[in-house]
Amino acid sequence: MIATIARKEFLEIVRDGRFKWTAALMVLLLVTSLLAGWQRFNSYSQIQATAQGSTNTQWLKQGDKNPHSAAHYGNYAFKPLGPLAFFDSGIVNYAGTAVFMEAHKQNFPIARPATDTSAVARFGELNGAMILQVLLPLLIIFLGFTAFSGERETGTLRQLMSMGVSRGSLLWGKAAGIAAAVLLVVLPCLAVGALALAATGLQTVGGGIGTRVALIGGAYLGYAAVFLFLTLAVSAWAKTARAALMALVGFWAFTAFIMPKTAAEVSRLVEPSPAFGTFMAEMKEHQKRGIDGISPRIRLAEYRGELFRKYGVSRVQDLPVYWTAVSMQKLEELDHPVFEQHYNAVRDEYARQLRLQDRLGVLAPLLPLRSISMTLAGTDLIQHNKFMAETEVFRRNMVLKMNTYLSQAAADLNGVNSATNYMIANEDVFAIVPPFRYEPPALRDVIASQAGNFTLLAGWLLAAILLALVAVKRMSLERN
Amino acid sequence: MLEAIDLKKTYGDYQALKGLNLRVNGGDIYCLLGANGAGKTTTINLFLNFVTPTSGVARVNGIDVNADPLQTKRYLAYIPEQVMLYGNLTGMENLEYFARLGGHDEYSADDYRGFLRRVGLQEDAAGRRVKTYSKGMRQKVGVAIALAKQARALLLDEPTSGLDPKASNEFSELLVQLKSEGAAILMATHDLFRAKETGTRIGIMRGGQLVQELSTDEVSHADLERIYLEHMH
Repeated sequence: MIATIARKEFLEIVRDGRFKWTAALMVLLLVTSLLAGWQRFNSYSQIQATAQGSTNTQWLKQGDKNPHSAAHYGNYAFKPLGPLAFFDSGIVNYAGTAVFMEAHKQNFPIARPATDTSAVARFGELNGAMILQVLLPLLIIFLGFTAFSGERETGTLRQLMSMGVSRGSLLWGKAAGIAAAVLLVVLPCLAVGALALAATGLQTVGGGIGTRVALIGGAYLGYAAVFLFLTLAVSAWAKTARAALMALVGFWAFTAFIMPKTAAEVSRLVEPSPAFGTFMAEMKEHQKRGIDGISPRIRLAEYRGELFRKYGVSRVQDLPVYWTAVSMQKLEELDHPVFEQHYNAVRDEYARQLRLQDRLGVLAPLLPLRSISMTLAGTDLIQHNKFMAETEVFRRNMVLKMNTYLSQAAADLNGVNSATNYMIANEDVFAIVPPFRYEPPALRDVIASQAGNFTLLAGWLLAAILLALVAVKRMSLERN
Repeated sequence: MLEAIDLKKTYGDYQALKGLNLRVNGGDIYCLLGANGAGKTTTINLFLNFVTPTSGVARVNGIDVNADPLQTKRYLAYIPEQVMLYGNLTGMENLEYFARLGGHDEYSADDYRGFLRRVGLQEDAAGRRVKTYSKGMRQKVGVAIALAKQARALLLDEPTSGLDPKASNEFSELLVQLKSEGAAILMATHDLFRAKETGTRIGIMRGGQLVQELSTDEVSHADLERIYLEHMH
């Protein structure tokens, strides 16, 4: 019975003029966006690998100089992206893709592609995720809004119900028929996407490409099903097909456009985060002041006293370590808690904003889906934070290695004018700093972070199905 | 086969049906006459479970319609004033769809063609999309659906209104055939002539009540018209 209804529904949809042009448009946009994303990903990956390689070489070939100066010369970290980034670019375009790592400063990521684009980019980048999140629901609405309302208007609903069909089977049959028509459009496009994915060589960042694809697929399927059942519910409920279409397009605009912007604004209002300039200025001020209000100068004097006591000396010249280097390292370490406090604070603010946005997903199913999608694609805030944390680990190690080397190799320069007499190191010394390697978060943790969003999406699906069942049970057969 | 016992339907203060008692046996064509609003369509809707009765019982094949609507619909075929079909499907596809929904998966394409031939649909029309069909052709498909469903009872709501005389005549002949095969037919109509010609019994309704029942072989056409008009005044 359900199969019969599904087959008829499918046949009717694909024979309708509506189907031909919406399907053509959808295929065009989806394939274009997937291929554009793929091309973008390939060029990004190439640039990332080349840039990371050349910055590593630059570090080694920076020319002979004092090791501490070498730490100032610094090093860049370029964020590697997993192959799924071509499908969902997440926050990559806004959050920055490179970090300059140097002595005394923890820098914010730079190279944000969004800053180089025109105002058009505000509408979001054309990528596969965006098309599926925004346009797939619209396709489902267009193909499904007449499912009941149209049959009621043409009078076939009475004919249908006189045959002894249960309303439940009617709902499931129609759902299956519409789903088949939608999949007929979307699946070939996704096959193109899968080929593009395979062509990236699947050099995963964070591993588990199969798991990621399966979970992303499941999430999008669930999201599409939410819209399918909502469409059927409204179609059964609405007095006319026209009213059904209006209501559904209204909800679509609400979830696809209004809520994402509103959620961002609300989260900023509830959990304000500082402007970039303010953040940097405050952190610098705090550095000068010292973490606990005791200035680094005083701390440094105390430290010198400690070293004198430790080595039983009373003059810098007699220290067995190069004072300039150890004091630089001490200053560096005094800054660490300041950086941590400020960066942790802003990171926590972003995390709270994100959590709030995810919670607003009870109003719009797009929000939990968006988080799931970018998280599994590896282009989300969690993975961005991990990247930033790793660059700081690298930076500290780089500075420590250079300062420590200098403190030992140049101990005989204590008390000598360091402006004219300083130790010169070469490539062999710089090589003690291993090149930057990004260690992405474990896939298990990535998935666990989305448990709430998966629950929300499942809740939406359940609610949509229940709503559709109730609407169909109460459906009027008459147009009036 | 079709049975209404003290069937009442009220909408708020309005009494659409005020205790209808009616029985249509197999081999009967029972014609319900009456002005618009007399309760004819309400009666048919009650047998179809499209509306639930305020009180009383409608039975099909002895089963309470309200208790097991899916089961009673198995025995029924419904042909409204305008048989509504899916315009983008062909006549064959429409027939197959409704036959399957009616619980009949056993037919072959030849069987479906046979049903359509039997109701007099032109051979070449069967494979055409229904949106190109005339009203008469749609009504024929409606009867073909009833045939395929092997319906024991037919509920017809002014099925011939708007048909040209030839189509109307063909339709009536089909009804007589179905009657002779033992179907119970309840038909709401305004066509006194057809009621007298094809019907076996006639019920005149007014204001939600059955005001008179008669057998068609007891009255002449002129008598029928006189009796009907008397009730309408």
